[in-house]
Amino acid sequence: MANNPSQLLPSELIDRCIGSKIWVIMKGDKELVGTLRGFDVYVNMVLEDVTEYEITSEGRRITKLDQILLNGNNIAIIN
Amino acid sequence: MATEEESAVKEPLDLIRLSLDERIYVKLRSDRELRGKLHAYDQHLNMILGDVEETTKRTVPFLFVRGDGVILVSPPLRTA
Amino acid sequence: MSGTEKGGSGTTKTPADFLKSIRGRPVVVKLNSGVDYRGILACLDGYMNIAMEQTEEYVNGQLKNKYGDAFIRGNNVLYISTSKRTLAEGA
Repeated sequence: MANNPSQLLPSELIDRCIGSKIWVIMKGDKELVGTLRGFDVYVNMVLEDVTEYEITSEGRRITKLDQILLNGNNIAIIN
Repeated sequence: MATEEESAVKEPLDLIRLSLDERIYVKLRSDRELRGKLHAYDQHLNMILGDVEETTKRTVPFLFVRGDGVILVSPPLRTA
Repeated sequence: MSGTEKGGSGTTKTPADFLKSIRGRPVVVKLNSGVDYRGILACLDGYMNIAMEQTEEYVNGQLKNKYGDAFIRGNNVLYISTSKRTLAEGA
C-alpha cells in the first residue's frame, strides 16, 4: 500500500464527490441521480434529493426520493 | 427467564428467532412461495420447514430451504 | 483522506448515520427485482437484512400484499429510502 501521491484511490475520488450531484448507473436498466452525502467501504451510498430512472415494460418510470441508502452491490458506474 | 430480553427484536434475525415453531410465509426467488412450520434456521437464512405448502399446491412433510434464494420471511400475525 | 468536508450544503452522512436516523420511521425498501416494500423500519443489520412492521408490498406501483412483520434478506435490497415523497406515480 505504498502511497503514490500522483495516484488517486477510487475511494478518494468518491470522497471528493461528497456534496456534489452524482449519477449512478446500476446493473440492470436503473439509473439514479442525487447528491452524495456519504459512503462506506462497500460503496453503499447515502444520496439526497434523488431521481430514479427505471426502464419498465411500460416505458420509463421516474421516482423522486428524499434520502436513500443505496446498496453498493449492484452499482456499475458512478459519474 | 422468558422476559423482554428474549422477545425483543434488536436485529432482523430476532424476528426469525421469534418465529420458531410458527407457521411462516417465505417468499423465494423466481416467484416461489412457501408456508410451513419453522423448525430451524441459521444466519444465512437456510431453514428447515415442516408441513410445507408450496404455491403450486404441492405439500411436503419436510424441506430444507437454502438461504440465498430467500427474499422475504413473514411470521403469522401476532396479537399485541 | 480525512478531509471529507466539501463545499455545498449540509454535512456528510455515512450509511451508518443514515441507518441510525431511520429506525422506527416509515421507509420504502426497493429490491433489485423492482418490488417495493413500504412500512415501519423495526431494525436492520450489517448485511442490510431488514425487519419491518405494517409492511405493504407493491409490484409495479400496485399493492399486492400486506404483512404484519416482515424480514427482508439483505442481498435483495437495492435501496432503503425515507418515505416522505414518492412523486410521479399518478403521472
